[in-house]
Amino acid sequence: MDFKPEYTKEQEEFRKEVRAWVEENARYPEELGPIPLSSGDMSREMWLWGRDFQRKLGAKGWYYPTYPKEYGGGGLSGDKDIIIKEELRRVEHPVAYSMVSMAAPALLVYGTEEQKQRLLKPMLRGEMVAWQAFTEPGAGSDLASLQTRAVRDGDDFIITGEKCFIGGHHEPDVLWAPVMTDPDAPRHMNLGAFVIPANLPGISIRFQNLVIREGKRAVTFEGARVSREYLVGGETQGWRVIQSSLEIEHGGGGSVLPEDDPIVTGALEFCKKTLRNGVPLSSDPAIQKEMVDLYIEANVHRLIGMRNHWMHNNNVPGTYHGSQNSLVGKYTALRSAVKLLNALGPFALTVDPKWGALEGKVEDHQRHTLGSDHRGGTIDVQKVIIARRIGISRTRERAAPTRAQAG
Amino acid sequence: MDLSLTPGQQMLRDAARDFLTREYPRKVIREIDETESGFSPELWRQMVDMGWVGMILPEEYGGMGSSFTDLGVLYEEMGAACLSSPHHSSVVLGGLTILEAGNDKQKKKILPSIASGQRILAFALTEPDYGWGPGSVKLAATRKNGHFVLNGTKLFVPDVQVADQILVVARTSSRGSPETGITLFLVDKGTAGLSSRILEGWTGDKLSEVIFNNVEVPASAVVGRVGGGWAPLERVLEKASIAMCAYSVGGMQRLLDISVEYSQNRIAFGVPIGTFQRVQDHVIEIVNDLEAARWTTYEALWKLDERQSDAPLAISMASVIASEGFPHSAEAAHRVHAGIGIDKEYGLYLYTKKARSLQHYLGDPVHHRKQVGRLLGM
Repeated sequence: MDFKPEYTKEQEEFRKEVRAWVEENARYPEELGPIPLSSGDMSREMWLWGRDFQRKLGAKGWYYPTYPKEYGGGGLSGDKDIIIKEELRRVEHPVAYSMVSMAAPALLVYGTEEQKQRLLKPMLRGEMVAWQAFTEPGAGSDLASLQTRAVRDGDDFIITGEKCFIGGHHEPDVLWAPVMTDPDAPRHMNLGAFVIPANLPGISIRFQNLVIREGKRAVTFEGARVSREYLVGGETQGWRVIQSSLEIEHGGGGSVLPEDDPIVTGALEFCKKTLRNGVPLSSDPAIQKEMVDLYIEANVHRLIGMRNHWMHNNNVPGTYHGSQNSLVGKYTALRSAVKLLNALGPFALTVDPKWGALEGKVEDHQRHTLGSDHRGGTIDVQKVIIARRIGISRTRERAAPTRAQAG
Repeated sequence: MDLSLTPGQQMLRDAARDFLTREYPRKVIREIDETESGFSPELWRQMVDMGWVGMILPEEYGGMGSSFTDLGVLYEEMGAACLSSPHHSSVVLGGLTILEAGNDKQKKKILPSIASGQRILAFALTEPDYGWGPGSVKLAATRKNGHFVLNGTKLFVPDVQVADQILVVARTSSRGSPETGITLFLVDKGTAGLSSRILEGWTGDKLSEVIFNNVEVPASAVVGRVGGGWAPLERVLEKASIAMCAYSVGGMQRLLDISVEYSQNRIAFGVPIGTFQRVQDHVIEIVNDLEAARWTTYEALWKLDERQSDAPLAISMASVIASEGFPHSAEAAHRVHAGIGIDKEYGLYLYTKKARSLQHYLGDPVHHRKQVGRLLGM
């Protein structure tokens, strides 16, 4: 076994190349103002700078490094993907990965060659921002009960309905959405999956005022006319098509988390440096336990994500692994908020420049982690999937095809 | 990055799994467990024949010079079978201590016979003031006419009943920090004044109380330097801990497998109980414990093999996870199994018993959390 991403001379050279490139291209211009704690508070100018940077990354094939070159990816190994992500992390910049990662696997598996060139390629090259538009006011965990309709009209579909909790910062180029194409067909055989241009007449996007500030939006479709060429897969094959997205969203692609998670290491330093009644906070055994567990759980999540990343990029078939990564991440996030609160007390709850712990990052974490319990499927949904994949549930299922199997 | 086992490790795993599944099903493990000594000479001979006993020791001492990851692969299979043997006491704790602390003469004399399984060592550290740190070592060794005289009690010592010799962690000086003044002795079990008895009860391995009443040993019984025992021992305890983490990973994997099987086959209210989400929750707790332990353990084994400076941190982290996860998984398996879980013939209890013994062996979760905290600079 080898847990480090590079072990050859060539990979070491690659890291040098990436580092030099990042130093030159990822320098965020200070005149655009300080990068906010919550990505949803990013200014338009900042976001545009980020989009431009994404394009530069995409042109190198480094925005989606492991995807095939012919569709705009880098054609690189999983190890090099890790190297790129690690190097990008070394520099502070406001680039947030769009929801392209959710649409891409489905397009790769089910898209026609023409669609791959027209849609997948610009996504992977960082030129087209895609938002995943799955959830509806009445369809969250029970996604298959979604009600947004697509009615056939010649070679077009007329779309009406509402999606929520999607995106995204500022605006998308396309929306990746399952919608109901046949209301008379049975569940799971009544959907089509569309890449919908976001600027079509009849589409309006509004900001959702949430506790987490990730820029989540709601989208209303009022008779938006979409050409058939934006339908991915068969007209009633959508449920199957979006499983490839969900496989990735549920953690099947793995994750590359740092060994020194900034919140964890920051909080550790805070506890070591903060004196309470003349002694460091960290000398209190109860606080030490909270911090040690915070550290350990973050590392467990890092390793589970690393396992999936390795499996995904080496065509090792998984079963419960994707949803386990998601589930462990959710538990870790929710528990970490509690641990930080236990350890830091009210200092965890304020963004006050004088008193807020870690310049307010902990306050942001307290709110942000509340999104973890449902983001990309609730804790309970992940458990349902794990049970199915282990083979003990009423329903049995296998992992949906993703990039690894398709590529 | 490569998270797969090498072809050699896969062969080792497959051979161990085939052998243990065939020859040591739970029924046989229970029969061994129910003997007075808890020891099967037949199993020990087979382990020697398969090269398991010597593997971790260097080739020059009759071993195979295997990596710690290799050892982890083997321990995982031993854990899956819930195997009891003096392997850990004699080879990992005993053998590696001789290797780390012993002089050339001791290594040449002792290690080959450990590797061949002819000599079995027990390892005695803990005492009535229970703990795995140097401060808990009180057993006194005092000099007398060029000899040492040992007085005190070692408690919860595994494998004493089958051992030829006991590696005793003793105190030759009380001055300075707890680490200084620790000296290691290799004591023949038959030495006058040494007595032991097995502590009956629900323990994973047979544990003994060992009383040293004016036990006189020659200076040649000292392993390493007088007063310099702790530093080498600390390195051995790390290795011994991570081996047991791998054992626990195997145990948890088997707990998962039998819980899944039972959930699929046990019918209640007309359907398999695995279709109940309440039951699924128990199984999912096991699979989460298992994978957390598996990957923290193998990363630590890798760091150990690579001699990375933060290997001790990784080992303590894995030890927290495994020592809590194994008993917790056993409890979750009991929730899945309900009544049949306490049936002796079914044998789930073997894992529960083992997990509860391992929970504190080589340091309980509190001990390892303190280690993590210390290594993080808190």
